[in-house]
Amino acid sequence: MEGDQIFVTQHWDIKYNHAAGETGSTFFKAIMDKKVILGKKCPKCKRILLPPRSFCERCFVETSEWVNVGKEGKIEAFTIVYEKFEGLPNPPYAIAYVLLDGASTAIANFVKGIDLKDINQALNHIKVGAKARVAFKRKREGRITDFWYEII
Amino acid sequence: MKPHNLGIIGVGQTTYVTRRDDVTLPELAREAAATALEDAGIEFKDIDGVVFSLALDALEGIEGGEKWCAEALGGYGKPFLRVHTGGAAGGSAVHTGFFHIASGHFNCVLVVGSEKMGETPDAQSVLNQIFDPIYERELAINAVNMCSFQAVRHMKKYGTSEYHMALVAVRSRKNALNNPYAHIKKEVTVDDVLNSKMICYPLKLYDCCPRSTGSCAVVLASESFIKKIRKKKVAWIKGVASCTNSYYMGDRMNGSCINDYADSEALFLAAKKAYNMAGINNPNREIDVAEIYAPFTSTELAAVEALGFCEKGESGICNEKGIFEMDGEIPVNPSGGVLTANPISATALARVAEAALQVIEKAGERQVRKVGTAVATGEGGSLQFYTVTVLSNKI
Amino acid sequence: MKVAIIGVGQTSYGEHKKKSIDELVFESTQKALYDSGLQRDEIESVVTTGSDGLDGRAISNMITAGSSGAYLKDEVKVSDGGIYGLVMGYLRVASGLFDNSLIVSWTKSTESSPELVSNMAYDPFFLRDCGFNSVTSLAIEASAYVNIAKVKENDAADVVLKNRRNATRNHLSHLSGSPSKRAIISSNFVSYPIRKGHLPPKSDGACALVMASEKKAKSLDKYPAWILGLGWSRGEYEAGGGDSNKLFSLGKSSKMAYKMAKIKNPVDEIDVAEVSDITAYHEMMIYEALGFCGYGEGKELINDGVTKFGGKLPVNPSGGILSSNPIFASSLVRVAEAALQVMGHAGKRQVNNAEVALAHGFTAMSTQGSCVVILGN
Ligand SMILES: [Zn+2]
Repeated sequence: MEGDQIFVTQHWDIKYNHAAGETGSTFFKAIMDKKVILGKKCPKCKRILLPPRSFCERCFVETSEWVNVGKEGKIEAFTIVYEKFEGLPNPPYAIAYVLLDGASTAIANFVKGIDLKDINQALNHIKVGAKARVAFKRKREGRITDFWYEII
Repeated sequence: MKPHNLGIIGVGQTTYVTRRDDVTLPELAREAAATALEDAGIEFKDIDGVVFSLALDALEGIEGGEKWCAEALGGYGKPFLRVHTGGAAGGSAVHTGFFHIASGHFNCVLVVGSEKMGETPDAQSVLNQIFDPIYERELAINAVNMCSFQAVRHMKKYGTSEYHMALVAVRSRKNALNNPYAHIKKEVTVDDVLNSKMICYPLKLYDCCPRSTGSCAVVLASESFIKKIRKKKVAWIKGVASCTNSYYMGDRMNGSCINDYADSEALFLAAKKAYNMAGINNPNREIDVAEIYAPFTSTELAAVEALGFCEKGESGICNEKGIFEMDGEIPVNPSGGVLTANPISATALARVAEAALQVIEKAGERQVRKVGTAVATGEGGSLQFYTVTVLSNKI
Repeated sequence: MKVAIIGVGQTSYGEHKKKSIDELVFESTQKALYDSGLQRDEIESVVTTGSDGLDGRAISNMITAGSSGAYLKDEVKVSDGGIYGLVMGYLRVASGLFDNSLIVSWTKSTESSPELVSNMAYDPFFLRDCGFNSVTSLAIEASAYVNIAKVKENDAADVVLKNRRNATRNHLSHLSGSPSKRAIISSNFVSYPIRKGHLPPKSDGACALVMASEKKAKSLDKYPAWILGLGWSRGEYEAGGGDSNKLFSLGKSSKMAYKMAKIKNPVDEIDVAEVSDITAYHEMMIYEALGFCGYGEGKELINDGVTKFGGKLPVNPSGGILSSNPIFASSLVRVAEAALQVMGHAGKRQVNNAEVALAHGFTAMSTQGSCVVILGN
């Protein structure tokens, strides 16, 4: 209660078991077992899609061919977060979309290994066009955080 | 077949604030609805149907809050629909109301949006939940950094700077001083913006919208209904279009790709269609004022380019030249825009409401001189859902 | 302007562990496009309907934009339920602005807890803390019905048996075959008077339709299902009123739809109906609200075999929601099945001489909102 006003506190706590599907499962298993990043190729527009998809939304056909993409690529977009958001990681942290060599679309992940406390220093390394490589977690569990990016 | 003519005959808005502890969500929704009906000179019983704009359930903490609100909006025993395209929901709701009447089945439709996100501690933790749980949610992506990605691409592609973004914040906040409904009413200088706290590079505190509570409503009516009640001041809806882009932001990031994430391509396509429907060939010359859904300064830069107010990459320079100021060639967001009030479920609707007020010359202190045609936009999802609505003072 | 359904696409219903939500949506969309003979490029408008709460995504049409065919199309999401997607598609085409519209709805019921999600739909002050959800709110309506209309356990069990038997003719169905009446009558109470045997399963699935303007529909070599009537309405948020078992919103919406379709005597003029049998008791309440019989007489239509397959007015030849329940999509499935009937494409579950069909859906937890669609060939 604040003054004459009644406040009723409620929480949402709903568990979801999201199916990644066969395509998503193949992608995560390749990371877990072989440390490789697999994209899926559209037979029509020939785009190599990452994250992998079982269909192409532009051509509206199923994809079938898996393509091993490179573990290095170029930053297409990024941000460095300095604000604490409830329920999200403690800042600072950097997130980037990287176009891996051979892929047609960029895939997001955290950028690690750069001191982010001084933003100007960090911006010398993390920028659009900068080269980055994939680094894998030692214990991988079939989640997107099984890998991250490091600046080359 | 030509759609039946229709227009906006009533507008209602609450003042946008951080919290409203004196009312519940349906009570808040009803405030704007009642004001809009009063403005139109009609009552709840005169409405044939209701369209409710409600964006993220989790922001209200109620799954499908339209159920709770339907009766408060006169929906008992009447056709009622809820639309949800994230931030664009208000624009989608106006379009849905448009289709009700344009089909010839309805004469008068109430469109309402209501937002009470002041009751959740952090909107961005909810906005993280819009992203795909398998590939992106765990990366702490939210609405701020989603727009940061566009900003850095725009900067790299066109040489846009943080200074250009700051100019947008300065203008919006200055305009908001003329708007009694605005949430943020404090002027800032370019230096204030540039020196404000870094949130998600390159967006700083004053580049960002507030999170607001409030509601907005408009009444749409057919030409025959308007004649019957002898309404004189009408904002006729001349063009409606929306366009949905790929969910995947990364699909729009590839050096050689069309549909570049820097450019709000879906807004460009929606605008092209809406202009075409409204018979607008040269938006630069034919549009007199714009109310743009831009929750961040950088979003507005991409939007004015997509709307054809300037060439791609020139929005920064145009801001330097003052083209979008109140006395410029195309005043943008005379209300102060989303940067000075963002009640998400009602925000895109408020853009249409403000554009309507401009067209019927009832915008008070924020009135732009000689408005014949106005455009209003909505934006939702991962810079994904766009709505464009063209209003005119001529049928 | 006249508007028709020219294509139907459905996934099978059941547990789909191997497909993500957008993969299910893609399957139904692709099937509907194929059935209509249109390519995605030719689609002018897309309407999606899904539940953010059930999907676990705060704007669930973000991810399904691609799989519903909406990439760079004019798309909108309706949040009231699948059948309201049809309403939206109808209004969009009938306005003359679009020649066609794709309607897509989905739910993966097995990925979350619908009872918990639906509890969150209640206001945080009065109802949520009292245990209201998708089952208890329906049970309150059903208990009023059982007490006032003197409906027996036997009647409810017969509804279930009818629909499950019908489901044996539907290869897409989640459940089918005939459970024993004893098993239904002795199954546990979930929420009095509703027993486990009176409730639908939790199914994953997606359903899509292609709608077209009269001009477009006639230009194709097709047997379209024409939309003759459409009505939708809201009633009370709280289910407690004594009349709640009379389904106010359904009465209102059926009147609106009958008026538009010029139907005076529904039992004589409608050849087949697909209704939202969200509990066994509700199917009987629905008959009454639709004017198929008087209040309290729903059980007689069951007992007399009027609504069985081969009866005067077959209801739920597909097996209904009691056999497959992809929650949000379930009401669009009713339209899809009704359309297949008037198109003459319902296969083994085809009702003879089905010229006029009725489809019905609910929205909101209790039966606060209803929608009725009348289709004809
Ligand atoms: Zn392709």
